[in-house]
Amino acid sequence: MRNMLLIARREYLEQVRGRAFKTTTVGLPAIFALIVGVGYLSSLGLGANRQVAVASNDPLLAGQIRQKLAGDKDARARVIVAAPASPQDRALLLNKVKDGTLDGLLWVDTATGKLPAATYTSQSAGDFITAARVKSALNHAILDERLIGGGMQQGSADALVDGTSVATYQVKMDGSLLKTNAEASFWKGYVMAILLSMTTIIYGMNVARSIIQEKTSRIFEVMLAIASPSDMLAGKLIGVGAVGLTQIAIWLVAAAAILVSPFAGAILTGELAVHITWTEAILFPVYFVLGYLLYSSLFAGLAATCETEQELQMYTPLAAAPTWLSFAVILLVINDSNSFWSVAASFFPPTAPVIMFLRMAAEIPPAWQFAVSISLLIVSIWAVLWFSTRLYRIGILMYGKRATLPELLRWLRYS
Amino acid sequence: MPVVELAQVTKAYESKVAVDHLSLSIEAGQMFGLLGPNGAGKTSSIRMMMGITLPDTGSITLFGKPFERASLKRVGYLPEERGLYKKMKVIEQLIFFGELHGLHAAEARSRATDWARRLDIDESLHKKTEELSKGMQQKIQFIGSLLHDPALIIMDEPFSGLDPVNAKLLEQTLLTLKDQGKAIVFSTHRMDQVEKLCDSICLIDRGQAVLAGKVREIKSRYERNHVIVEFEGSDAFLQSAEVAEAKNFSGHAEIRLKPHGNAQKLLREASAGATIYRFELVEPSLEEIFIQTVGGKVDA
Repeated sequence: MRNMLLIARREYLEQVRGRAFKTTTVGLPAIFALIVGVGYLSSLGLGANRQVAVASNDPLLAGQIRQKLAGDKDARARVIVAAPASPQDRALLLNKVKDGTLDGLLWVDTATGKLPAATYTSQSAGDFITAARVKSALNHAILDERLIGGGMQQGSADALVDGTSVATYQVKMDGSLLKTNAEASFWKGYVMAILLSMTTIIYGMNVARSIIQEKTSRIFEVMLAIASPSDMLAGKLIGVGAVGLTQIAIWLVAAAAILVSPFAGAILTGELAVHITWTEAILFPVYFVLGYLLYSSLFAGLAATCETEQELQMYTPLAAAPTWLSFAVILLVINDSNSFWSVAASFFPPTAPVIMFLRMAAEIPPAWQFAVSISLLIVSIWAVLWFSTRLYRIGILMYGKRATLPELLRWLRYS
Repeated sequence: MPVVELAQVTKAYESKVAVDHLSLSIEAGQMFGLLGPNGAGKTSSIRMMMGITLPDTGSITLFGKPFERASLKRVGYLPEERGLYKKMKVIEQLIFFGELHGLHAAEARSRATDWARRLDIDESLHKKTEELSKGMQQKIQFIGSLLHDPALIIMDEPFSGLDPVNAKLLEQTLLTLKDQGKAIVFSTHRMDQVEKLCDSICLIDRGQAVLAGKVREIKSRYERNHVIVEFEGSDAFLQSAEVAEAKNFSGHAEIRLKPHGNAQKLLREASAGATIYRFELVEPSLEEIFIQTVGGKVDA
């Protein structure tokens, strides 16, 4: 026990004092913020400031479409109306689209008793945002026109077309109601799941890399004379895991400091308000530790059988595959967090940490499901550790060649 | 009571038998040489003494008890495949090893500083290991294995990679430790060191002990049929009918006589054509015994 803790302390201090720790502690959130920020800023201008022509044989409808497009503040579109328009006008406008004077042309052909037929032509097939805005404006304008034609007042028709908003609430365990926002919940779950999977894999990889480095430096045999292989492996897992927890704690403290600042308060209110429950705050480190132990034990066994870091890198994407699988079912889980597949994925140990957090973002699952998920994780960690320790205690003394599958099976039998 | 004892120990890796019914016993205050050609089974035997691998059959006792990990607290080990944590400072590394052996950090620091002074590396204590030469790193490994004042010291090829000055320093240190009553086992290919340092040896070939015992006794088993001659003049006597094999190094000749060769007759032949400064009838060196034994040519 003493040796295990000494090894954990050495591992912890070496990593925390290293340049990589300092760089990633500052760099990872900075890169993440940069990606989100750049994505957000670039999305602000998407599909905006377009010059669009609306041509139709129905001047009233064309006017309505123009009004709807001009009313969209995000679009900031400049709309030219050609109505009533002839086929020659259409050809002329299409030429303007072709030479780039216009960004797009909406051609609406109306016939009595039928829905209008419309085409939208633009130079860029990828400008789906403008196409969607034009389509929305057209549909609203048609609806408006029909309602007014049916005798409804303009104001009432506009209100009906704009629709009504639905406030969403979540019933908590104590029966109280919590105002929620599905989009904010989705992003909260998504960010926490990314943070969880990223740190789990990064620190699992750190364990593997540390084993390969020790194998390369030939320190193992010196250490084996002092400590048992299981103490060495356990010390390494604890030390590197503590580094991960330290880094997460630094990020969370920094995030909390930012969240309570007036700047963040101005942004994260109303629709974007994010509520982190106590359950989430407690279970996040629990699932991090369990997920980390599962993957790092797996990576440790893998590293003991490899000779170089390059060789290790070839196999780690396969070992980390269940984490990526978790993200493949993200929509399924968020949409119906209590479906059979969502519950099963949150019980399946390799996907449990990420899926459970995605489920929690939508709705806190019952306590027994946490108990099952955590128990299965603990059992699987024990099983993976059992195999990994056996591979580790022989693999660390094997130099010069990569172990074949039959050799690995023999190692398991020998130990 | 032997400090370490192997009784009929066998270890096989798949179809290759690395150690085959090996028995040996080492007492306190004894320097023991484990010899053998490459792949003979020396490292496998040492690894079993340290509990790194387990014997398939036979038994190993440390300090009079069947092997248990707790006994390793009293053992200092320098393996052949040795390494250090490259990013750690030397002093931190030594304190870490000392703590693993049960010392308090302050005690480990004090002992590490003393040892560093003895081995003339005290100026490197606060450097990172990766900044040091290979020889310096080897001294640190040596200190790391001795910090906890072990009663049994096991070293696998301790002199490999050391320059003559540091090899001499290591030899002196081992002799001092032996005088303090430590049991020392080391493997080496350097027969001159074995001859100088060891009380007893075990020569292993293909996993089996082919020659074992006290160095003096082993050498006395062999006929004194080697002659060293220092001379000036004709070297025609090297072609004598009494000589089986001769090497001449400009006035210094090493001669092996034929079985029952007559040394006095050879002396007469030599002095007839040359001035003789030295004519000494000696036992074969350990190196010759080693080569002959492993080659199966010895006539003991």
